[in-house]
Amino acid sequence: MKNIQKHRIVFHVDMNSFYASVEVAHNPELKGKPLAIAGNEEERKGIVVTSSYEARKKGVKTTMPVWQAKKLCPGLIVMRPDFDRYRKASLQLFELLNEYTPLVEPVSIDEGYMDVTDYKGPKGYVGLAHEIQARLKDQFGLPSSIGIAPNKFLAKMASDMKKPMGITVLRKREIKEKLWPLKVGEMHGIGSKTEQKMNKLGIYTIGDLATSDRKQLELGLGVNGIRLFDRANGNDNRPVDPEAINEFKSVGNSTTFPEDLTDSEEIKTALTNLADSVMRRMGRKEVLASNIQLTIRYSDRKTVTRSRKLSNPIDHGKDIFNAAYYLFQKHWTGEPVRLLGITGFELVEKQEALIQLDLFSFEKEEKNDRLHSVVNQLRDRFGESALLRGNQARESRSNRLRDKKHRGTSLEKDFLRNKDKGS
Amino acid sequence: MRFTINRETLVSNVQDVMKAVSSRTTIPILTGIKIVASDEGITLTGSDSDISIECFIPIQEDDRQNVEISKMGSIVLQARFFADIVKKLPGETVEMEVLDSLTTRIRSGSSEFNLNGLDPEEYPRLPEVEGTEGFSIQADLLKSIIRQTVFAVSTSETRPVLTGVNWQLEEGRLTCTATDSHRLAMRNVTIESKDGDLNFSNIVIPGKSLSELAKIIDDTDDLIEIIVAENQILFKAKQLLFFSRLLDGNYPDTSKLVPNESKTTITVSAKQMLQAIDRASVLAREGRNNVVKLVSQDNDLMEISSNSPEIGKVFEQVEAQSYEGEELKISFSAKYVMDALRAMDSSEVLISFTGAMRPFLIRPIEGDSILQLILPVRTY
Repeated sequence: MKNIQKHRIVFHVDMNSFYASVEVAHNPELKGKPLAIAGNEEERKGIVVTSSYEARKKGVKTTMPVWQAKKLCPGLIVMRPDFDRYRKASLQLFELLNEYTPLVEPVSIDEGYMDVTDYKGPKGYVGLAHEIQARLKDQFGLPSSIGIAPNKFLAKMASDMKKPMGITVLRKREIKEKLWPLKVGEMHGIGSKTEQKMNKLGIYTIGDLATSDRKQLELGLGVNGIRLFDRANGNDNRPVDPEAINEFKSVGNSTTFPEDLTDSEEIKTALTNLADSVMRRMGRKEVLASNIQLTIRYSDRKTVTRSRKLSNPIDHGKDIFNAAYYLFQKHWTGEPVRLLGITGFELVEKQEALIQLDLFSFEKEEKNDRLHSVVNQLRDRFGESALLRGNQARESRSNRLRDKKHRGTSLEKDFLRNKDKGS
Repeated sequence: MRFTINRETLVSNVQDVMKAVSSRTTIPILTGIKIVASDEGITLTGSDSDISIECFIPIQEDDRQNVEISKMGSIVLQARFFADIVKKLPGETVEMEVLDSLTTRIRSGSSEFNLNGLDPEEYPRLPEVEGTEGFSIQADLLKSIIRQTVFAVSTSETRPVLTGVNWQLEEGRLTCTATDSHRLAMRNVTIESKDGDLNFSNIVIPGKSLSELAKIIDDTDDLIEIIVAENQILFKAKQLLFFSRLLDGNYPDTSKLVPNESKTTITVSAKQMLQAIDRASVLAREGRNNVVKLVSQDNDLMEISSNSPEIGKVFEQVEAQSYEGEELKISFSAKYVMDALRAMDSSEVLISFTGAMRPFLIRPIEGDSILQLILPVRTY
């Protein structure tokens, strides 16, 4: 559903140090004290997940080891995360936002967009933001920052500008002074790798990006470069979509072949590659899939999709390949294949995944698991081609499938995982 | 064919034979029950070609007259209708007579049915397994062997051989094993075979056959003779023959899968443990896998818990009679452990663990007649 109206008003509501704030709201004695939430309160192993502003003032940062945080901030209270509590708080706050408009798009547990264009109340948009912020604080004890802008990207950038308890309006005509001086790495949607690439192209600030050469950018960064160029110029026509969060329910990848494939060995190699890349994407999102879908497009563009429900959720390339290859053998007509795609559905978060072990394979499982994590570490450090399966190393045209750039586009939307660095 | 029979005797025997009759058969005549009147009594037969059951009703039994036969002969009647009819007939006796062209008249009290029959000559012969040597087990023991193993067979056809229970007889010891690859149930009994040197392995009896058999045989100490042939097994009781097809394929070697070392061993009341897990699983049932978590605490205490984010949490404490070894933190299917505990005859059980990713064992505190093996659920 596209919003045809020209001037939209979008809020980005971002909770301030959400986990810590929920803990303080739950136990008022923690109020005003430096607090850190860490995966493991043991000093040697634990890493700070988030911290209260009192702790941040002393230099405590996210991903810092607990011992270091304690050194910087003596008297730091370290707690383990209670995700049930955070989930409950999250549900409540989105319910509150939904009282104002059905156009609320949750992005993660602690942030979301609202399209409030249709709000006609007496307070005006800024007054509305103040009311929402005050209610979140009074009813749940949770501080937030709200960005107000004509689109999602600017609203997101605006909410980052003043924390905690900020309300920031970012008009399109203000981007030159407010947005362009910022480092390009601070832009939503740019991670450290993209930042490095941009620096190489001589782009250091968002202003540099906005005024750079479009063609050059497309060459260096592809479609993503164009998208970022548009955003840096304050353009973003993505609608606020309450259903968007549900689209994160699949992870997949597909490849269109330079020539149609008929040889089953080549097809096997292509499926191995696709399964591997789906595995890596699932790994990045820390999810497992309980259902694997295979897409086959023939040279006459006839397309079939078939899926297989699994008894246990999977995330290993080999298991993904097996499920996909089973479907392929069952449904392939033998005609030349133009495109293959593998998608994982019914995703469960890794930390919530339950796998019933098997009497005949539990020992193999243990070993595979260790191997799997080593392979992933190596590939993260040395690139995707650092380790290949036997059939992936074959000298053939499907070799090019190995190269990430030629691997085709994702069947899923990645933006939900582009988490901001602040929270 | 013409005879008069005690109605109750007929009803209970028809019900037994019905266990083998399936409405979904590819051989039309198998939807019927075959009735044969001979000079010794009445024989009823039902079959779905996997299971065949033959019941015999003697003319006289313990000074009681069951049947009065005035003309020998045979007929096949539609099982569904015949069973329904005899159950509802009003009189104490039933008179059956085959008239011309296979039509059968059934009379009892004030009621009369005329049922179209099928040609008994077309009814398939039962498998021939007589003459082969066998062994005997008491009926009540056979029933408990079945109860303690058959629940663990696989319900999925991905590995058909796992849908059966593997029977192995070696040096007078019968070992029955069932596994769906997530849990394994094993029962051992000592057998007195006639000449003592009967041995077999890789006899896999379909789980469904055993479940039906357990429903038919009575809880008595009567001996049941068991005869194993090429691809059939026959259970012979007084006035009952129960044939089952055996499953093809090699049953996996499960002997090496049972761990012989343990890192943590607890002794606990089976009933207490069962009830605690049952309560903890009330919330887990709503979740995806019916999984509960067991964590050891101080002073021989164990905590059993489950958590369904949308519904709530539950914590149960169980005190072990004894607790030896390392600390414990393991998740498992509540259903599998409850099934296993229900199969134990002893009031106290030993549970031994070798790690959160490895199978754990449930045994009685004494003896090795029963063994239940369960694979845990892995969490990240």
